[in-house]
Amino acid sequence: MEMRKKLSVVGKGVPVKDATSKVMGSLRFAVDMGVHRMAYGKILRSPHPHARIKAIDTSKAEALPGVIAILTHHDTPRNNWEAAWFNYRGKVLDGVARFVGDEVAAVAAETEDIARQAIELIDISWEILPHVFDMAQAAKPGSPQVREEGNVRPPSRVEWGDVVQGEAESDFIVDCDVKFPSQQYASLGRNACIAEWEDDKVTLWTSSQTPSELKDGVHEALGIPQNKIRVLALPSGSSFGLWWSNNFMMVTVLLAKKAGRAVKIELDNEECMATVKRRHEEHSRGRMGCTRDGRLTFLKMDHMIDNGAYGFKNDVGYTCLDLWSGIHNASSQVQGVNTNRVTAGCFRGVGDCTLSVAMERMADQLAEKAGFDPVDFRARNQIGQGDFLNGLKGYSDEVMKNTNGDPLAFVAPELRDKWPELFHLSSGSTVPMLRDGAERFRWGERFKGWGKPSSVSGAKQRGIGVGTGSHTCGVEAEGNSSSIVRLNPDGSVKVFCSAGRQGQGSETTQAQVAAEALGVPLEIVEVETGDTDACPWGHGSIASNTMYRGGWATREAALDARRQILELAARECFEGMDPESLDIVDGVIGPKEGQPSNRTTTISEVLNLFRSDALGQMSSITGQSRDPMPPTIAFSRQFATHFVEVEVDMDTGQIKVLDYLALQDSGTVVNPQVLKNQVIGGAICGLGFALYEELKFSPETGEAINANLLDYKLLRTADFPANAEVIFHESYDPVGPYGARGAGESPIAAAIPAVSQAVYNATGVWVDMPMTPENVIRALGKV
Amino acid sequence: MTKLTVNNKTYEISGASARTLASVLRNDLGLMGTKVSCAEGECGSCTVLLDGKPVTSCLVLAGQAQGRQIETIEGIGRAEELHPVQQAFIDEQGFQCGACTPGFIMSAKAFLAENPNPSEDEASIAMSGNICRCGAHPYIVSAVLNAAEKMQKGRES
Repeated sequence: MEMRKKLSVVGKGVPVKDATSKVMGSLRFAVDMGVHRMAYGKILRSPHPHARIKAIDTSKAEALPGVIAILTHHDTPRNNWEAAWFNYRGKVLDGVARFVGDEVAAVAAETEDIARQAIELIDISWEILPHVFDMAQAAKPGSPQVREEGNVRPPSRVEWGDVVQGEAESDFIVDCDVKFPSQQYASLGRNACIAEWEDDKVTLWTSSQTPSELKDGVHEALGIPQNKIRVLALPSGSSFGLWWSNNFMMVTVLLAKKAGRAVKIELDNEECMATVKRRHEEHSRGRMGCTRDGRLTFLKMDHMIDNGAYGFKNDVGYTCLDLWSGIHNASSQVQGVNTNRVTAGCFRGVGDCTLSVAMERMADQLAEKAGFDPVDFRARNQIGQGDFLNGLKGYSDEVMKNTNGDPLAFVAPELRDKWPELFHLSSGSTVPMLRDGAERFRWGERFKGWGKPSSVSGAKQRGIGVGTGSHTCGVEAEGNSSSIVRLNPDGSVKVFCSAGRQGQGSETTQAQVAAEALGVPLEIVEVETGDTDACPWGHGSIASNTMYRGGWATREAALDARRQILELAARECFEGMDPESLDIVDGVIGPKEGQPSNRTTTISEVLNLFRSDALGQMSSITGQSRDPMPPTIAFSRQFATHFVEVEVDMDTGQIKVLDYLALQDSGTVVNPQVLKNQVIGGAICGLGFALYEELKFSPETGEAINANLLDYKLLRTADFPANAEVIFHESYDPVGPYGARGAGESPIAAAIPAVSQAVYNATGVWVDMPMTPENVIRALGKV
Repeated sequence: MTKLTVNNKTYEISGASARTLASVLRNDLGLMGTKVSCAEGECGSCTVLLDGKPVTSCLVLAGQAQGRQIETIEGIGRAEELHPVQQAFIDEQGFQCGACTPGFIMSAKAFLAENPNPSEDEASIAMSGNICRCGAHPYIVSAVLNAAEKMQKGRES
C-alpha cells in the first residue's frame, strides 16, 4: 500500500488552467471553430415517429445553386455502430426513421442558409409504420417493434439471500411505485462537428467528453482503420453525458467525404435538446421491509428504463445496493425497453439518481413506521469501509468461480499487495458524514419528526431533509485508460490523456497529479485531453473515471518519466549514484536529504546533455503506465450526504430552497475549488430534476415538445442559497492517485432524496417528481 | 452597409442589417466570446452591452445597434489586465465549462454599474437572467460581490 506523504501540488485550490480563457471568452468550443474552404451541413429530420423511406428524390435540392453534396441512406454503410455503454446502437442512416427528429438525410452547401433551403427540397415518399411511445406498452408482446432486435432488452438482475424469508421476518413493509420523468441535459453552448478528409484519412473537430470512444465509433461505423481517424475533441459546454460519440458526428464525416470538402454541421438548440439524447424515463416498483429494531430485511425492485430509439441499455450501473449494505436479502432487476422517442442514455448519476431515490423513499417510510430518525436509520443501514459490495453479487460469484476462489490469481505477486480486497469497499463511508452533517446542520434541534414542519408561518411551512448518494469511480468495461507524460528538452511537461473537457477541470487536476508525481511546479505542466493522434486510449470523462482511473494512469506515467530522468541524471551528472538516492523537488534534481553530494541539476540540463550526443540518446522522455490498472469497480465508490431546508407555500405549491449543506467523500481532494463546483453543481442539477425539470412528449407524435430553454425550466442563481456549504471527508483510497477517488456523480444522487424528504417533512405528503407547484397542490389534495 | 461600433472600433459590414447582432459579432467580426445557446433571449449566454445596458444579442438585429456603443467580452479586459469582474470570476471560480461565463460577466458588469455595492440577495437576483447549467450558482454570486469589493477599492485608491 502506498504511504501517505506530504503533498505540494495535490490538494491546492489553484484556479483551473483555462480560467483566463473562460473569463475572456477565448476558450474555443467546436461551434467556434472553422477550417479553410469549409462547407456547411444541415440534417433533414423525420416528421414521423416511425416510417420507412419508400423513395427519396434529391433532384430539386441538387439543382439549388450552392448545394455541394447530399447524403442519404443509399450512401451510408450497412453496419451498426455503438456508443459507449449502449448509449447508441444503430446505423448512421438506414432509411427508417424511429422518432420525430431522427436523422434521415443531410445536405452540404456553400452556406448554412442554402443547406437549410435544400433539405426542404428533398422529397420523400414514406411508408408509415406503427409506433409506440409508452415503455410499458412497448414491453408487451405484439406491440409495434422499434428495432429489428425487438423492443425489450433482457433484464439485468442482482440477487442475494432469500427475499421470501426476509419478507416473513419483517415487522414493517412498504411499497413504492415511482415514475421518473425524462431529464434533459439542457447543455449550454450547443455543439458542432467539422470533418475534413485528406485522401483516405479523416479529421474531426467536435466537442466531446470521449475522444477515444468517438474514434472507435467512426472506425466501427465506416470500417476504416483507427490510424486513419483523428479526433480533435474540443471542450464542451455543460455536457453531463450528452456529447460523447453522437450520430450527427458520423453524418458529418460521411457528408464531408461525399462533398470532397470540409463540412461543419452545427446543431441548433432544439436539435441539441430534442434529437440527440436525454435521461431515460424510468419506472421503479419496489417493496422493502425492516424489523422493529431498524434492520432492513429485504428489498424487491423492478425497474424499467425507456431507451428511446437507439439506446440499448439493460443496466444503469447503480450502486445504491452497495450504499444500503444493511439489506439482508434482495432481488433487483432493471429492464430496458425501446420506444419511438428520442434516444435516452447516460446522464450524470445514471441509475443512482433514480433507483436510489426510490430506495431512499422506501427507507424513509420504513424509518417513520419503525420510529427511527432519518439520520440514524441511514447510519444503521449504510456501508462502511471493508464491507461487502452487495451490488456486485453475481459478478463476484462468477469471478470467484472462474478463479477457483482466488480472484487475484491472475495478478503478478508483486502487485497483489497494491490491490485492496476485491468486492469489498476500499475506502469511504457515509456514516461519519451523516454524523458530522447532522451536527453542522443542527439536525437534532431542527428535525421535529417525520412529516412535521420545522416551522410554520401562515401558509409557509418549512421542513428539512437528508439524502445520501453513491456512484462508481469509473468502470473498466471496454478498456483501461492510459496516459503519457512527456518531458520536453526545455524541461516543460506535457500530459496526454483522453479525458475530454466538459468544465470539470481535467486539464488542471491531471496536471496537478503529474506535477506532484514528478516533483515539478504546476505551471510547467500542460495537458492535452482531446487529440487522439497524440493521446493514448482512455474512457474520457464518463462514469466518474477521470480522477480515479485517469489520474491513476497519469500518476503512473509521471512516475515512469521521473524514473527515467533520474536514471540519466544519476549516470551523467551524479557519477553513477544510485538513482533511488536522487529526488526532484520543485523541478530541481538533487540528492535526497542525508546524501553526501549537494550538486543539483534540472530536467532541462539533463536532456540537453543528449541533444548533441553523437550516440543519439533520447532528447525527450516519454513515460507511460506499465502495470495493469486494478479493477476498481470491484472496490471503490464515491459518497455524498446532503442536508437541505425548504419552504413550501401550502397555497401555491411553490418550493423555495433555503439552506444547503453538502458533504462529500471522494477521498483525497486534488483541487478543492474544482471539487466544490462539482459538488454544488451536482446538487443544483439534482434539485432541478427534483423540482422543475421534465422533458415532455407529444402524445400524438412522441416528439419532445419543450426542447428549449424557455419552456424547460432550470434553477437560476436566486433559486439556490448563495451560502450553501460544502464539507469534504477525505477517506484515503489505497489505489487512487494520492488517495483520490471519483466525484462528479454522487452529489446529484444525494440531492434528490434530500429535497424529497424535506418537502415531505414540510407538508406531510410525498410529492412526485418534478415537484412543480401543480404536483405539490395535487399531492396536498387541493385539486 | 451597417456601421457598428464594437469595443470602440468602427466596422462597416454589408448584408448585416437584418441579421442578429450575435451572428454578426461571431461570424463577421470573429468575436467568438459572445456565445449563443438558446437563441431566444432566455439563457443570457450572448449578453453584450448596448450603451452600457445588457441585451441578449441573439434578439437584437445588427441594424438596431447602429450608432450605439457595443461592448463585448473581448472589449473589457486583456489577459495581462483582466477587468475586476473577470478576475473575480476566476478568484471565486464562478464557472465550470465556461459556455455561459462571458454572458454572466457582461451582465455582472452592467449590474455593478447600476448597483456598485449590492447585497448577496440583490446580486443573486440580478444574475438570475442568465443560465448556468453547470450549477456554479453560489460562486457566481460571490464573484459579483468580490468584484464589487475590488471595484470599490479601485475607486478609493
